[in-house]
Amino acid sequence: MMTQPIIGLITLLFMMIPPVAEIMESIMILHMHMQMPMIVIAGFLMAPFFTKRFPNFFSKWNQTGIPGMLLFIIVMSYWSIPRAMDDALTYPAVELFKFISLAFLVGVPLRDSWKKISNRWQNGVLIFFFLQFTGLGILYIAAPGQLCNNYIQSEQVTLGWGFLTIAIAILVYLVQLIFINPADYE
Amino acid sequence: MALAQTIKEKANNALGVNPLDAKITKSYFIVTFLALLIGGYLGLIQGLNRAGVFELPSWLDYYQVLTAHGLLLVLVFSSFFTIGYFYAAMSNTLGGLLPKVRKMVWIGFSMKIVGFVIAVIPLIMGDANVMYTFYPPMAASTWYYVGLVFIVLGVWMAAFGAFIQVANWRKNHKGQHLPILSYFATGVFVLLFFGTLPVAIEVFMIIPWTLGWIETLNSMLARTLFWAFGHTLVNIWYLTAVSAWYVIVPKVIGGRRFSDVLTRVVVMVLVILNITGGFHHQIVDPAISEPVKFMHVFMSLSIGFPSLMTAYAMFAVFERTGRAKGAKGLFGFFKKLPWGDVRFLAPFIAMAAFIPAGAGGIVQTTYQLDQVIHNSLWVVGHFHLTLGMSVALTFFGISYWLIPHISGRVLTKKMNKVGVITTIIWTIGMSTMSIAMHLVGLLGSPRRTSYTTYGDNATALGWDPYLIFLAVGGTFLIVAVTMQAYNAFHLMFLAPKGEEEFPIAEEEENASKTPFWTERWSRIILIMLVVVAMAYVIPLVDFIGDPGSIPWRTW
Repeated sequence: MMTQPIIGLITLLFMMIPPVAEIMESIMILHMHMQMPMIVIAGFLMAPFFTKRFPNFFSKWNQTGIPGMLLFIIVMSYWSIPRAMDDALTYPAVELFKFISLAFLVGVPLRDSWKKISNRWQNGVLIFFFLQFTGLGILYIAAPGQLCNNYIQSEQVTLGWGFLTIAIAILVYLVQLIFINPADYE
Repeated sequence: MALAQTIKEKANNALGVNPLDAKITKSYFIVTFLALLIGGYLGLIQGLNRAGVFELPSWLDYYQVLTAHGLLLVLVFSSFFTIGYFYAAMSNTLGGLLPKVRKMVWIGFSMKIVGFVIAVIPLIMGDANVMYTFYPPMAASTWYYVGLVFIVLGVWMAAFGAFIQVANWRKNHKGQHLPILSYFATGVFVLLFFGTLPVAIEVFMIIPWTLGWIETLNSMLARTLFWAFGHTLVNIWYLTAVSAWYVIVPKVIGGRRFSDVLTRVVVMVLVILNITGGFHHQIVDPAISEPVKFMHVFMSLSIGFPSLMTAYAMFAVFERTGRAKGAKGLFGFFKKLPWGDVRFLAPFIAMAAFIPAGAGGIVQTTYQLDQVIHNSLWVVGHFHLTLGMSVALTFFGISYWLIPHISGRVLTKKMNKVGVITTIIWTIGMSTMSIAMHLVGLLGSPRRTSYTTYGDNATALGWDPYLIFLAVGGTFLIVAVTMQAYNAFHLMFLAPKGEEEFPIAEEEENASKTPFWTERWSRIILIMLVVVAMAYVIPLVDFIGDPGSIPWRTW
């Protein structure tokens, strides 16, 4: 079962090819809502390679899944700061860090931790991102000026709506959890 | 487990079909085949008009006929068949419908009929010649849209009935996988609900606009909302047809199903990726920037991926079954297939037609290629191959066993032969017509225009030979339409009494266990919503706030 890590690695390398990266970074919302999630997905796919290769490391440092989840949340949150996107576009080192951190500090711990944490924590994480995305959405839509040097304000508004719509999708999921208990069906 | 299964099967065999459930499917099918009959004749009128051999009387407008043809076949024929078929499937595989669900689907049925009547009256009066896509700023009578609202509400009743039925079964069968046909039904009803949401929003914007309560309407926004629905509808029929290819056809040819995991993944992927595919219908629309169109080529092409998996799976099943029956050589298995059985022949031609139909779809999705054929008769040829062949022939193939099954009758040898002949005539007619449409489309003949020679322009005159073939194909088709409608009603009311099997193929003996994540619908829907949100946010934010248009009556 090494197909997933290989697909993940190929995806990551593909995303790093300069013309691909350039197209995706040319539009603000594609940069944040397509390129970055794709890198995370690449890391998510590569995770089994690391968890099987270094089982002791993961059981020692991420026994409950909570440290991994915290790492996931912190790095994810860092990459939703407007300044972080500017830095990535300005400094090649930060750009490289973006690819590495989103794949290995977000995708990998997400895969390893999600199954280890309880349902309550899982829902807590979803609520956290629902609130964060709503907040960011309002910020990007309502900000009176450019938040990023590299993107004009109309693109920023689009990204804001992107955050809000994803927040709504998460909300729909959370609301159905109130009415539908998965334990009734499994 | 095995014992419970046997008891259930025995009970099913002894009791047969629940007559209350059968009545639902029968009623839906009566509407389906009446729509086919009327819609078919309207299609012939258009074909003859386009060929220049038949002039419409002054009281009948070409666009009126076109609207009715689209409404009857694209909306009524396809959706009534889909709902009737999947309710029969759920009744069969989930141990009968719940009384509550039955009531819901009946309410849905009446709402759709009421809606249809409300929509048809302005259409007959000539106040709704807007075609089934009803693009603003063209505005029909308000009643037309009110009728559409009722149709959508009726569809939602059927969808929610299905959700309740499935949820109830799963509560009583904890940890088990939903039977595969009901799994397809769930996917289809999820798409029917989420796909009709955008068009409901659109219609609720149009109604106050036609009433004059709001002055202008944003046309681009309306078109985008329409196609989020329109393309989903296309794939709803397709998914319905695919369900028969994966589940029914293997049983008919005496084989077993291809991988259960792959089948379920195909359903999941189609549900997740479908709605956003609507963008390629707007690929030459203004107001959408080129990078967005470029991204959407990927979104649309990704729908081709599950179709390729399906093609592989189908031929693998044919080959395995043929070899199990002693076929030799590379293609020997073809000879072992039951070509004389209409339950196989019709869906097989349907599948084969999907190869060129799918390829044509890829042409239309690709920005550069689409520039050549957009809004030409090519597109009409394309969806007559997809809906008219891949989907319709599969539906017909299903009708030859499902109608007798629910009516307590049998498909006789003679009827089977009539069915085979109908299928062949249909195939000849539809191939002739759609090839002619594709070719004349390449030469530039536009779609959605009544007959004109453009002042005897040489190019326009050059289309005439192709248009004659179009009419010839249409004439073959009307023979097949009439025969098919007769066959359906014959099997429902006149065929000899008896029992007809509901053919559901089994999994392979050494099949690997299907992982349970395929059953987590909440998660599938969450991913679908995120994909939709990501796909639509850029263009929608671009459109909103653009100046709109006042309503226009162009006819």
